[in-house]
Amino acid sequence: MFAEKVIELLKEAERNQDTIDPFNDEKIRQILEEMQTLFKMNMNDANATSENKSLWTTVQVRHSALERNKRCLLAYLYSRMEKIKTLRWEFGSVLPPDVRELLSDDEYEWFSKYSTNLASYMRSLGQDIGYSGIDLTENLRPPKALYMEVVCAADYGKLELSDGDVVMLRKNSRHFLPAAECQTLVRQGVLKQIL
Amino acid sequence: MFVEDLRNDFYNVLLGNRVLLLVHYDVDAICTCKILQGLFKCDNISYTLVPVGGVAELKNAYEENNEEIKYVVLVNCGGTIDLVDILQPEEDVVFFVLDSHKPTDVCNVYSDGQVRIVYKDNEENIPNFDDIFRDDEEEDEEPTESGMEALEAAVERRRERRAWEERRHTLMFNYTQFSYYGKPSACVALEIAWLVSRCGGAALWAGSVSAASHVALASRPPAQCLLDTDALHRRVASAQHTPSDTSCRVVLEKDAWLPLYRSWSLEAALGHAPALAPHLRLHSHAGAARLRQLLADMGFPLQQARQAYRSMDVELRRSLLPSLEASTDKHKLPVPTRAAFLLQRPHAPPLAAHDLVYAILALIEHESIPKGEGFQLALDALESEGGLSEGARIGLEAAKQALGAVARAAHDTLAARRLHLAGPFSYFIVQEGGSGAGWLRGAGWVGILARWVSAGTGGARPVLACTSLTPTHCLLLGVPPRSHQEPRNLFGAAFEQAATKSGVTVSLDHLDSSIITLPTAQRAQFLDALTALLA
Repeated sequence: MFAEKVIELLKEAERNQDTIDPFNDEKIRQILEEMQTLFKMNMNDANATSENKSLWTTVQVRHSALERNKRCLLAYLYSRMEKIKTLRWEFGSVLPPDVRELLSDDEYEWFSKYSTNLASYMRSLGQDIGYSGIDLTENLRPPKALYMEVVCAADYGKLELSDGDVVMLRKNSRHFLPAAECQTLVRQGVLKQIL
Repeated sequence: MFVEDLRNDFYNVLLGNRVLLLVHYDVDAICTCKILQGLFKCDNISYTLVPVGGVAELKNAYEENNEEIKYVVLVNCGGTIDLVDILQPEEDVVFFVLDSHKPTDVCNVYSDGQVRIVYKDNEENIPNFDDIFRDDEEEDEEPTESGMEALEAAVERRRERRAWEERRHTLMFNYTQFSYYGKPSACVALEIAWLVSRCGGAALWAGSVSAASHVALASRPPAQCLLDTDALHRRVASAQHTPSDTSCRVVLEKDAWLPLYRSWSLEAALGHAPALAPHLRLHSHAGAARLRQLLADMGFPLQQARQAYRSMDVELRRSLLPSLEASTDKHKLPVPTRAAFLLQRPHAPPLAAHDLVYAILALIEHESIPKGEGFQLALDALESEGGLSEGARIGLEAAKQALGAVARAAHDTLAARRLHLAGPFSYFIVQEGGSGAGWLRGAGWVGILARWVSAGTGGARPVLACTSLTPTHCLLLGVPPRSHQEPRNLFGAAFEQAATKSGVTVSLDHLDSSIITLPTAQRAQFLDALTALLA
């Protein structure tokens, strides 16, 4: 049957919609081969018998199969592209190596271009009001509170806030600080958020 | 200086500024801190919270954190010491003092704006300004006059001055003679929360735990405790009638005043209740029999009384309060039931405020958990939402062990006649190395132990308890006679005088002046001096 392989490919991709699969080189090569054969057969039939109208139906069926293959392949690539776009927002501009392996070379090139575009856009934001850009990937959802309550898990020393205040971080002292200031320290394990 | 308008002169001043919150290690302070934290969170007031244990720690914490800080709120610390003198702050730093330790230092009271005391207690008889402060400038004036008149005038002035100094001395002595506790700070904090319309369930719960702590730890006379909670009663009642969006709520109910009986067994709770057990005389041979007799009178089989309360017969659980009241009456024991605050939670047994008092005390004076971490757990234990928090769970378990240790130490002391008579007071030394001795290092548990021993011997004499902190130093704590009725403590001033007379290097670091630490080697010398002083 025509176009069987491509349906298999789409079904495979459909199975896990949230994650990205390895780029299926092998199957795509087979599909392209199939398309190549279909095209050649059509060419032969069309050239050989221009009067024999009985062959026209065959040519038309083959042609629609060909077009279907093309459509499905494009759909496959497009859905992957959308997923790669979200990768940029989730992981940032540098992909972890295991994710990197899942992309084909072309896809990776697209990713790098998208990444550069996004970065230059974010840099340009807010320049007219004196900011040097906003990191859009930082808060994908609006934060619930601007401040958060943290407790120090280690003696860290002084922390200077962006408004010039200095906070002394000693073990077992509690602080109520702007969330943006202490997020990195929370990640480092110096502070612990209290929910 | 006193703050007159809690909202405008205290809370609104803090709005939009960074605040340094220094909190003492005690139950009332932690509850107050919980309420204030809730308020600060709502208004995005960024704060730094540092727990402090004594004057030295207070000074240290202030010095470490005073950069860029203009407002300092002190909870249950700093009221009894001259803050400006000790902390040496910059001119524009303002201290708000919310301290239930009394008497308040007169320099704080008459400070012109740098130290502001948040709540004015009417019980305090603060001497008038003119009686204790006086300009010395007149001394230098008019030395130009000559002759007899000038001399006479100078003598007259000097005589007048001496009389004034004497008067001042008497006034100050009367004022600082007793150390005692004022209205719980959490009740004041609750008032602030009410004024800014944020008196929610969490604040009410923290307030009720603090009110329960003053009853359980006998910091205030019983009648005063009742008056302090008057506002709290009203708030709880009005909160009951308004539908709330959360499922937890605070209720006021008649409850048995037995520590932790909901998570313990009835027999254990009766045997460890500081209010009841000394009167049962459990330290004597007949004590155990008396407890069994009490249970028999109540109609509780031993098997039921010994198993966990929550798996006891439902009928028995229901009849607990009336039968307990009836049979304690028969045995001439103090009334074991009273109105108590309970936190009702969905799908969980209610949590009593006085249980949490012991839990918090056990956390901040834990055998193995360091104080700082215990403080964090204690704040966690006060969380009213979302089931039993981790802190409360650890705390309740620890409280059982600590009460067990207190009961054992009290029985040992009383049974082995280790309560020594020393002239006007009695004293005992907590045995080292016994099981659970690790619990008896903090002032809270030793205080409970001392009151227990005092009650076990009739309570007519003051009792001193001594426990070793480190191999070389020990902690000395005094309990006045009839401490449950009249908790004003004379030992603070007495310790200070005995220390100067005997020349013993005593550390007066504790904020409660009736608790001191001194070198163990000099203990006998100090006690001799104290005996001579009080005789």
